[in-house]
Amino acid sequence: MKLQQLAQVIRSKNAGPRRLTLDVMFASDADYQRAAQSPALSPARIAALYRLAPDDVVVMPYPLGRAIKITLARPVMAGDPGDRDVYGAQQHAPLLEIEI
Amino acid sequence: MSASGRVLEEFQRRPRPMRLLGASGQLGYGIPTPAFTGGLSRQPDLIGCDMGSIDIGPAYLGSGDMATAPAATRRDLRKVLLGARQLDIPLVIGSAGSAGAAPHLEATLAMLRDIARAEGLTLRIGVLRADISRALVKDSLRSGNIVSLDGMPPLTENEVDAAANIVGQMGTQPFRRALAADIDVLVAGRACDTAIFAALPTMLDFPTGLAMHMAKIIECASLCCVPGGRDSILATLDHDGFELESMAPQRSATPVSVAAHSLYEQADPYTVQEPEGRLDLSAATYRAIDDRRTRVTGARWLPSTDPAIKLEGARSIGERAILLAGAADPRFITQHRDILPAVAAVVRELVCEDSPQDYTLNFRIYGVDGVRMAAPQHEAPPGEVFVLGEVIAPSRERAAEVMRTTKQYLLHHGYPGRLSTAGNLAFPFTPPEISTGPAWRFNVFHLLRTTDPDVLFPLEVETISG
Repeated sequence: MKLQQLAQVIRSKNAGPRRLTLDVMFASDADYQRAAQSPALSPARIAALYRLAPDDVVVMPYPLGRAIKITLARPVMAGDPGDRDVYGAQQHAPLLEIEI
Repeated sequence: MSASGRVLEEFQRRPRPMRLLGASGQLGYGIPTPAFTGGLSRQPDLIGCDMGSIDIGPAYLGSGDMATAPAATRRDLRKVLLGARQLDIPLVIGSAGSAGAAPHLEATLAMLRDIARAEGLTLRIGVLRADISRALVKDSLRSGNIVSLDGMPPLTENEVDAAANIVGQMGTQPFRRALAADIDVLVAGRACDTAIFAALPTMLDFPTGLAMHMAKIIECASLCCVPGGRDSILATLDHDGFELESMAPQRSATPVSVAAHSLYEQADPYTVQEPEGRLDLSAATYRAIDDRRTRVTGARWLPSTDPAIKLEGARSIGERAILLAGAADPRFITQHRDILPAVAAVVRELVCEDSPQDYTLNFRIYGVDGVRMAAPQHEAPPGEVFVLGEVIAPSRERAAEVMRTTKQYLLHHGYPGRLSTAGNLAFPFTPPEISTGPAWRFNVFHLLRTTDPDVLFPLEVETISG
């Protein structure tokens, strides 16, 4: 199943100008558990998807909010020349197609 | 006596739960009246509005302009000011004018003065400035008290001089100092959004952890609800927890929606770092009171032994000109990764005949990789693309020259297999090149370590007689 079929919310935003934070939120504890236990959301896999070094990726489960938080180092600081997304609100797209 | 003095005295005389109205998370984009009026009818003890953020990019901090439209900003300010005066309660505004530097603060104050005079209001306004002098930043740099944030390069004195505005993000203590000065309205420059709502209750011995957690949630108005939205939200704080209720009947604060809000624009959902300490949410609990209200308990506050203020600064990096164009030829689209550098080389030879390159030229190809920071290399080519060209150069004239030359040579560039020899681009209108003014970048995003952050943010009290 693709992540976009399992999750209720998949979103991204800046967390300060040098980091992006992506939230994947689920409607039920069962859906959350399924995603939280999947190797598809490991830091190494996320790093490959975003072409980042694994050290630039943090994956943090947040069971209280039935959510998984992913924080990335931005390759280009928000608003710098070459930035494509000043608010960082459209960088969730690569997550949609992940197979869980 | 003014509003903050009156409310503080009332609570000291007869302690009770405090009601705080989060009117807007982005003052200047419109405050829905029904929910705001509903909030007023609940007799809140304070109205708070956040007005700014660093997430909107460096342009506003650099230029001193507001991100919001003046007419909309004035309308929102009038609404919250009249509401606060009607109940004689403090109105607290944080990160005034989008970025919270001196020009933003002045523009916000000018609007408040105009509104007060037009409405015949007499007000005591407390003003907290957030600008940090270049001299102080340089002194701190020399004494080793400037620390890079999130991989930012080390700060230099040249960058300090180049920054158009440098602000420090103040915490809750300056807000407490202002509210203790018996004021009706508090307007702060760049500030932590928590300070807007946490200052008043923490002057009255409400637990700091609970007050901070509550503040972090209601500064976004009803965004913590399902469905989330910009309507006002009411928090009721006691000594063991707080209750949240959206003032829009269609929005529900549920345990999951409120807990999930801790994720929003935060790198870590369990921790909120503040200048004066750290909010620890690892033991927070969220319980439904009914289907629209949630009670929150358990947040802890850990005071810092090493206080620090986050500095933000932006500098000009030149003048920007852009090109707006489209293309629908599959041959052009599939070869654009070769065509664009070839055109850039031709342009460079023409505009830098006897001088070094003094500009940057970038393209974003929408439909291919205009949006994603790491688009896959081998996706099927789209039927159409949008081409956004961007030049940043030392002057407006130079940026326009490079952009116009680029437009012409991209339009007529010959490439292998080309059939469309009359032109490669579709212009949505002419002129397709636009000068957009100065380009800015964040050049200060550092921590300032200081033993006494409070002294960085002086208070002025101004009386307006309407």
